[in-house]
Amino acid sequence: MSVATTPIDKMQLASPNPRSLWQNALRYIFRQRSAIVGMIILGILILIALLAPVLATHDPIKTLIGVEDVKKREPPCIHILGCPADKPQHFFGTDGNIRDLYSRVLYGARLSLIVGIFSVAFAIVIGAFFGAIAGYLGGWTDNVIMRVMDVLLAFPSLILAIAIVTVLGPGLSNTLFAIGIVSIPGYARITRASVLSIKELDYVTADRALGVPAMRILFYHILPNALTPLVVQATLGIAGAILSAAALSFLGLGAQPPTPEWGAMIGQERNQVFTAPHLIFFPGVALILTVLGFNLLGDGLRDALDPRFNR
Amino acid sequence: MFLYVVRRIVLAIPVLLGILFATFALARLIPGDPCHATLGEKATAQACDAFIIRYGLDQPIPVQFGIYLRDVTKGNLGDSLRFGQPVTKLIAQRLPVTIELAFTALIFSTIIGMVMGIISAYWRNSPVDVITMIIANLGVSVPIFVLGLLLAYTFAVTLKGTPFALPPSGRLTAGINVPSLAEAWGLTSLSGAPRVMLDFISQMYIINGLLTLNWVLVGDAIKHLILPTLALGTIPLSVTARMTRSSLLEVLGLDYMRTARAKGLNERLIIFRHALRNAMLPVSTVIGLSLGGLLSGAVLTETIFGFSGVGKTLFDAISSRDYTVVQAFTLVIAVVFVTINLIVDVSYAYLDPRIRYD
Repeated sequence: MSVATTPIDKMQLASPNPRSLWQNALRYIFRQRSAIVGMIILGILILIALLAPVLATHDPIKTLIGVEDVKKREPPCIHILGCPADKPQHFFGTDGNIRDLYSRVLYGARLSLIVGIFSVAFAIVIGAFFGAIAGYLGGWTDNVIMRVMDVLLAFPSLILAIAIVTVLGPGLSNTLFAIGIVSIPGYARITRASVLSIKELDYVTADRALGVPAMRILFYHILPNALTPLVVQATLGIAGAILSAAALSFLGLGAQPPTPEWGAMIGQERNQVFTAPHLIFFPGVALILTVLGFNLLGDGLRDALDPRFNR
Repeated sequence: MFLYVVRRIVLAIPVLLGILFATFALARLIPGDPCHATLGEKATAQACDAFIIRYGLDQPIPVQFGIYLRDVTKGNLGDSLRFGQPVTKLIAQRLPVTIELAFTALIFSTIIGMVMGIISAYWRNSPVDVITMIIANLGVSVPIFVLGLLLAYTFAVTLKGTPFALPPSGRLTAGINVPSLAEAWGLTSLSGAPRVMLDFISQMYIINGLLTLNWVLVGDAIKHLILPTLALGTIPLSVTARMTRSSLLEVLGLDYMRTARAKGLNERLIIFRHALRNAMLPVSTVIGLSLGGLLSGAVLTETIFGFSGVGKTLFDAISSRDYTVVQAFTLVIAVVFVTINLIVDVSYAYLDPRIRYD
């Protein structure tokens, strides 16, 4: 008798509080080591970005000529690690214009986060809009929109971004815009695919039968349910956007001096790598950690939100 | 299969037209008047008048686009302002350099990536798996230019004087001369398309060296290719490793694997003969997709390592406002990319008969 009741008891215990998709996702995310590591890295990064003025020891833009007795491109000098006390302390050394590298790297966190998040946000809004319309309306609208996206996808992304920045002129905001444009097709395709499958569901048919306007069905009833893959793609997309922005700045097309942007900092000093590797190393590690953080979190989100991965 | 290939080629035509229009628009959107942007600031009024008539700049946009299309189909992509020679000539010199680099990176990333993925899946959740996957996760997050510069520093400065030292820039050690294949084979009288092909292949130093049995050239070219290959190949390597692992793990959980084990087959046979074949499909997708990244990455890699390929030429052209080169090279890279994608798509259809249409 007791043998037969046990499973029923378990079922009863499990059912009273059904969890929503997002609650479930959160549980999965917190079970994944990589996602947790990603969140920790990003948490620290956001703190650094917010507290940059407090944490920085020097002005990131002003050169120290005449202020301190330092030469350009000096290696790190940390007093507790044996650097003579009479030398001014610079955790990451100084750069080619005699600026404190540590302070510049801290401020660089702000720019990378801003560029990554804003360019992806821009791409998602436009991409999801066109993708949703293409998927829902179908026919020639779909064809025209998706062929334009195909042309955008026909260029390797960085090459297209370079071409756009060449036309618009170098600068951080143009870089942001160019990366946004280049990323649009990815989001458009994902949204279109989700909308295509969701629009066949019964509740949408019910909506239509009730005479709900098409655009209301699409943007209020279908799109919210198509968000999951977009969230995953966006998180991974931020990592890609930060990489692309840094690459453009490295090539001299993005952030312009004296802006403390990691890619630009590396690009300006790249010919000094053999004599002053610290100028490449510190901004480089900052970039790697930032991209790694978003990649780990994105992977974790994908595993948590994609039902196929739920084990 | 044949129908699929034809259909796929037909579908590529509007994309090609779109690319042509985009590169055409690129030149028209550049700020300033097109004559001075193309011929340089010092162009005279007469030269500009001739330029305007030549490219129909006084005509409506569709006519201008028509002229551009006509020029492109004739193989006329304009003249480089900086080099003072036809851009097509420049492409014939620079494209093989990039092809060689991209292919080496592709081969490196595919082989090592797959091996890493198989090892990881085979010993899943073991320390080997954890370490391999940490490397792969780091690998996708390392910007090419950071990795490239740090590799250059490590192998040219830190390891200087050891047998592991590697050259941080250039394609060959100064002093090594490269005879073109036409010279080496006494075919200097050859002209036209065969000569262009020969000169094109001559620029790929490893192939050139192999064909002429010039081992010094092969060795030196490989030595100079190692660091750029590592820099360019690390991201696709990591992606391939991760994909191989997850795909193999998925296949290993399927029923037919249990059957194979129940039959008493040995584990190696199961992995290589039964599992890997089916696991390879998603992996080949990823490898195909990474080609675009290789072309993008070539700009950074070539700039860092001083390789005079398509990427570095494009970058130099932007810096020196050589817009004809920017336009032409963007076009060429896009066309190469579309062609590769076409080949990749067709080969999937061959590999997986379930993939058909749409």
